[in-house]
Amino acid sequence: MEASETPGSAAAGEYLTFTLADEEYGIDILKVQEIRGYDAVTRIANAPPFIKGVINLRGIIVPIVDLRIRFNLGEPTYDAFTVVIILNIGRRVIGIVVDTVSDVIRLGAEAIHPAPEFGSVLDTRHLLGLGTVDERMIILVDIERLMTSQDMALVDDATETTNGTSQ
Amino acid sequence: MAIDMSQFHQVFFEETSEHLASMETLLLDLDVANPSPEQLNAIFRAAHSIKGGSGTFGFTDMTEVTHVLETLLDRLRKQEIVLRPEMIDAFLAAGDVLRAQLAHHQGGPAADQASIDDVRARLQGLASDGEEAGVEPAAVAPALRQIMLECVLPPAIAGKPAVVTNLMAALEDVAAVNVEHRPDADNPRLAAMLTCTLTDDEIREALAFYLAPDEIHLAEPGAEEEAYGFFQDVEPTQAAAPVGEAAIPDADPGYGFFVDLPTADTEPAIEVPICEADPDGRFGLFEDAPGKPEHLPRRDVSPAESPAAIEGLGYGLFVDAPGGCGLFDEAPGAEVACAAAWPEPSSGRRLIDNPSVEVARTGRRETDKTATAANSDTSIRVSVDKVDQLVNLVGELVITQAMLAEAAGRLDPGLAERLLLGVDQLARNSRDLQEAVMSIRMLPIGMVFSRFPRVVRDLAGKLGKQVEFRTVGESTELDKSLIEKIADPLTHLVRNSLDHGIETPEARIATGKPPRGTLTLRASHQGGNIVVEVIDDGAGLDRARILAKARERELPAHDGMSDHEVWQLIFAPGFSTAEQVTDLSGRGVGMDVVRRNIEGLGGRVELESSPGHGTRTVIRLPLTLAILDGMSVDVAGETYIVPINAVVESLQVPADALRTLGGDSRVVRVRDEYLPLVALAEVMGVPEAAPGPGIVVVVETDEGKAALLVDALLGQHQVVIKSLESNYRKVPGMSGATILGDGRVALILDVPAIVRLGLASGRRREAA
Repeated sequence: MEASETPGSAAAGEYLTFTLADEEYGIDILKVQEIRGYDAVTRIANAPPFIKGVINLRGIIVPIVDLRIRFNLGEPTYDAFTVVIILNIGRRVIGIVVDTVSDVIRLGAEAIHPAPEFGSVLDTRHLLGLGTVDERMIILVDIERLMTSQDMALVDDATETTNGTSQ
Repeated sequence: MAIDMSQFHQVFFEETSEHLASMETLLLDLDVANPSPEQLNAIFRAAHSIKGGSGTFGFTDMTEVTHVLETLLDRLRKQEIVLRPEMIDAFLAAGDVLRAQLAHHQGGPAADQASIDDVRARLQGLASDGEEAGVEPAAVAPALRQIMLECVLPPAIAGKPAVVTNLMAALEDVAAVNVEHRPDADNPRLAAMLTCTLTDDEIREALAFYLAPDEIHLAEPGAEEEAYGFFQDVEPTQAAAPVGEAAIPDADPGYGFFVDLPTADTEPAIEVPICEADPDGRFGLFEDAPGKPEHLPRRDVSPAESPAAIEGLGYGLFVDAPGGCGLFDEAPGAEVACAAAWPEPSSGRRLIDNPSVEVARTGRRETDKTATAANSDTSIRVSVDKVDQLVNLVGELVITQAMLAEAAGRLDPGLAERLLLGVDQLARNSRDLQEAVMSIRMLPIGMVFSRFPRVVRDLAGKLGKQVEFRTVGESTELDKSLIEKIADPLTHLVRNSLDHGIETPEARIATGKPPRGTLTLRASHQGGNIVVEVIDDGAGLDRARILAKARERELPAHDGMSDHEVWQLIFAPGFSTAEQVTDLSGRGVGMDVVRRNIEGLGGRVELESSPGHGTRTVIRLPLTLAILDGMSVDVAGETYIVPINAVVESLQVPADALRTLGGDSRVVRVRDEYLPLVALAEVMGVPEAAPGPGIVVVVETDEGKAALLVDALLGQHQVVIKSLESNYRKVPGMSGATILGDGRVALILDVPAIVRLGLASGRRREAA
């Protein structure tokens, strides 16, 4: 019953839930390395807007992705409560910015429903499903697949962003 | 591009060293009277592996030696012949020769040919004679000896090739024959070096069918060499032996090991001319050897012992094993062996069972120590991972130290005097530590250079050119990772020089040059850079042909270009002026790859050429890939690092020095030069500061100078390079990142790329 699911399959396990604007998201707890506050990032020129830049995490350079920008969830604010979840994906370390971290919940297979097709910024391929806890809906994100997808431009073979005048 | 064999070479070298070491250990463990088939098999396998490996990599000299070695071992393990002590000595000597050859392939001095020939002859002799010898191993075993056979054949024999062949065959039946002069009808003289265990009379007997015994002149080859102290193994027993045996330069240390070594007292008298290290070695080794072969197994080396120890042990035991040949011909291997035999008392002690002997020798040993000994036996092999880990940790330490220094800078010096002192001390210590750790990764560039003599010789042979190859500055050290990555580009440049640069001998003579061309590889330090040059005295670059080719390839080219610009065309992708594609070079994949590789290392390539006089390719590389000297600049609130080796100068320019050109492209006038201006803020996609006097950093790239417009200069310091790619991806215009004293990340500019980006963005705006 431990979270040993293959990516993409709606699998039971423990999820770390966090909020982006009014929406509640969940990611596989085993992908999470640590949670820390939002610190000054070093901007990377000509990167997509949702890549905030890179930080120094105890000597390693870690890119920071703002999921609120990525998912088009309103104007992101950065304050004392803004949280960065440091993820371990494959052999990479990536940080994601979220509004708040809620808790860790356990979801059984029966509580996870397949996500309907909707042509939004959230590609269904990147979702594990929709979880239900009491009356809350939790969007379960296949964070590994999302972070390594081409349009995140986090890995090298992504399309070159040569647009010199972004921003 | 050919497969880079060097990486495999290293594996071969390491494996072969290990095989040699294990072979030696096994040989020493071997019980001569009753060898275990398992051990024989293991020795055979080691020899076989070396033979296979050396064959694969074209080190035929090693293959030849291992072949005879293997043949003998094969017969031994099949129990076709009986193991004898001198065989072991021959095997050990073969091991020494192989080691010398291996060292040679690894860039050391050439192995001594005489000792190679001697070992081969001994092995062949052992393989071909054989059975009769095992009879009395403890008594005066038939010594393997070398005899110079000289005689004048009667015309009746000399005139008939078939008879001569028979005669030689008869000789070869009893001895390993090294023919110096084969008799023929014109010159009936027969001269041959025999290696055998026969006495002179037996040799005469073998030839009795052809020659009367008194016509056969046998001479010890050592006769003239006596003065060189060849005869360290001569013992009373031999002195009393029949016909000239006293003069036998018995190359076989087996005597010393097992049977008839005279007492220590008499030795020095015989040995006076021998180099000091040798009597030392022999005293220690052989003092208790006579008649006590049982001492040998005690000198076994446990597998857990460091390779260095095994090596030391090996050398120690064999210090005079190659007989006179190896040691006194100044064979490099032997020299090392001499010196390495007693690198330190600890390994020496292992060799000697009798402590008193050692004490007597100690004083002398001190003088025998040489730098070689220190080098060969005080080094350890450590995995690169460990070193890299160390480098990383030190990098962290340097960052932490910078943070502390910055925090301490805010304190009141009066109140925190001791803390500030400590921080200063820490800064010094961590800098020293960093340098020391970085130096671990430094290797001499000779490791790369050493592969080229062979490449040059082979290629020159193929091309029918005469080339003298020179290397200068092989000891220049650079980072290991650079060593690995510089090999390919260098190979390319060397091949290019041979293929396109140096002319054929006829062409050279026609232009009044010596027929033999010169190709030089030179390495040197220049400031914080390593400069590697490939220099040939060939025809030089052909400006007209390059221009014509460039037009053909539709590259931007015109007759008014400076030479420098024309040479740059060569670096364009797909450019090749070779009239015909050879298998060596000329496919046009060369120079652009070379440049890209070198730039990838943070280096630069420059070409200089003078028609008729040759071409010089200059590669400038940073000392290391882990640390660089950088100038930190501020651009719209962000800090960026400009590698200092790209910076020519930085200066403040008045607003009117910035001019536009064709609308939006800007140039800046620096003294009498107009340089293209790259506004970093624009490249970074942030709004530019209000126009006004700006600070420009003039940088130099392969494509020329350019000026980077920045907001402020912040400082200059060493930065530890961190990869952006490990967690993120390559960022255009950036070569990496680093962590500043305040813990923030700063990106390091890839100057050539940022200039290209900047100029391209200028052009794009123009088009828009």
